[in-house]
Amino acid sequence: MSLARQLKLLVIEALASSRAQPVASLVATLIVAGMCAAVFLTTGRTVGAEQAVLSRIDDEGTRAIVVRADAGAGLDASVVTRIQNIEGIEWAGAFGFPRDVTNSAIGPGGEKVALRPLWTSAPAELGIPATFATFGANTAWASTDALATLGMRQGAGGVQAQDGLGYGVLGALRIPSFLADMTPTLLAPEATFSGRVATLIVVARDPSLVGPVGKAVGGLLDAEDSSKVTITTSEALAQLREAIRGQLGSYGRQLVILIFGVSAALVAAVQYGLVSMRRKDFGRRRALGATRSLIVGLVLFQVAIVSAIGSAAGALVATVALLLSKDPLPPWEFFVGVDLLAVAVATLAALWPAVFASRRDPARELRVP
Amino acid sequence: MLVAEKVTFGYSKGTTLLDGWDARFEAGSVTAITGPSGRGKSTLLYLLGLMLTPQGGAVLLDGNDVSGLDDAARARLRAARFGFVFQDAALDPTRTVLENVTESALYRGKPRHEVYPRAQELLTRFGVAVRATARPGEISGGQAQRIALCRALLHSPDVVLADEPTGNLDPASADVVLDAFRGHANGGAAVVVVTHDPRVVARCDVEVKL
Repeated sequence: MSLARQLKLLVIEALASSRAQPVASLVATLIVAGMCAAVFLTTGRTVGAEQAVLSRIDDEGTRAIVVRADAGAGLDASVVTRIQNIEGIEWAGAFGFPRDVTNSAIGPGGEKVALRPLWTSAPAELGIPATFATFGANTAWASTDALATLGMRQGAGGVQAQDGLGYGVLGALRIPSFLADMTPTLLAPEATFSGRVATLIVVARDPSLVGPVGKAVGGLLDAEDSSKVTITTSEALAQLREAIRGQLGSYGRQLVILIFGVSAALVAAVQYGLVSMRRKDFGRRRALGATRSLIVGLVLFQVAIVSAIGSAAGALVATVALLLSKDPLPPWEFFVGVDLLAVAVATLAALWPAVFASRRDPARELRVP
Repeated sequence: MLVAEKVTFGYSKGTTLLDGWDARFEAGSVTAITGPSGRGKSTLLYLLGLMLTPQGGAVLLDGNDVSGLDDAARARLRAARFGFVFQDAALDPTRTVLENVTESALYRGKPRHEVYPRAQELLTRFGVAVRATARPGEISGGQAQRIALCRALLHSPDVVLADEPTGNLDPASADVVLDAFRGHANGGAAVVVVTHDPRVVARCDVEVKL
């Protein structure tokens, strides 16, 4: 007989046994449902709150390293190519010194907006097409507020600097949080990495990488006068974020271990009680030809089935309770993870009673005094 | 077919219930094992049924020593070639009559539903006049023992071992059980019955006294 067929028979028999013993199945289901609901309503609520807090501080701004260079610092745009191989960088771009421009259709009397040259190998992050060079030199992209300030209702037009240099303006920029200080934003991407840099922004892939990436970037600046360069990072915020995650995570883990431990002991005790009450049943099964492994499998599958039902019920009850109390819900991965863990814990807890059941001696259990 | 060869067994150290005991149980015959209480009749039946392992000697089936097999192999052999009738029927109270009759199919790797027709046929043959969906708690002792008989004969085993199968039965039900044993033995099986009842002994081919 193939293993798949054997497993199928075992699952069918375990299902039938669970149905045939409704009270025992209900007790096991309720224990696992209670275990899952307790985890979701305690640790799950904490995880939801943690997610909410972290999502507030875990934006790109938290992970940004900002290098500011004064006019005499001599920081060249080639720094972007030097730092692009540093491990842990999500995005990097250098911004040149700003020059005021006005809508060329209005003339020098129009509202002024600062136009900055941009050097980056990932312009698409800002909504600038990677093929920007095909639009020709002196082409700029503006944020929506810059377009509004310039009075470009159609979202395109031309701007002119005081020295008469003109730029075509195409489309709108996407402004990530690390560019918030530069709004309204008007950027002219440069195809060659050459020119004086006023601001270099590097975004680390993870808050924990802000410190090491900042140090690596600092070592590759190669400015003519490093005393005129300042590096600002949000490392303290990143450390706070890690501290929050560490504290809440540790608290949650301890609570989950406690709840699962107590529930596992309960499942083991209840299963042992049920198996003891059904010693004759297992003795009969052994006499009729059930192997020990079949009986162990039968008991474990039975517990796994009712645990799966119990964990789903626990998740449902906890979700409704969290929604009613307007608490943040943990992510779905947390639900799935806890439910799978609950089934595994309950099934493992039933291992000892299952082995006890499989070792019933038919000669002893079936003997009539 | 089934041979006990110098079988020795005791439940605790220093006490021997069976000491070098020999017997043969031939195919086509019904053998009664008799003797006073406490002499090891049921123990012998469990030894023959591979539920206990002799401390000395061997149990041979078709000339092969089967008492020395490992636990799983003995369990598979019980499921495939043995049928058991216990004194108190030993039905599963949580399952239906039909499920009780077909239980051992699971241990032979067959889904119960595949043997439902055979189970129905046996229930009809042995006059089990209850719904197939009834549970043991709803039926009489006589009906329960007939159901246990159906369970034992479901797979037409080569050996049927019965421990006081008529002990709690009225004469009519006892006759049904004994007729069934006779019919099964006539089909080529060895039937071994532990009993105190002289009427049962009178209907057996061989009597083995302990």
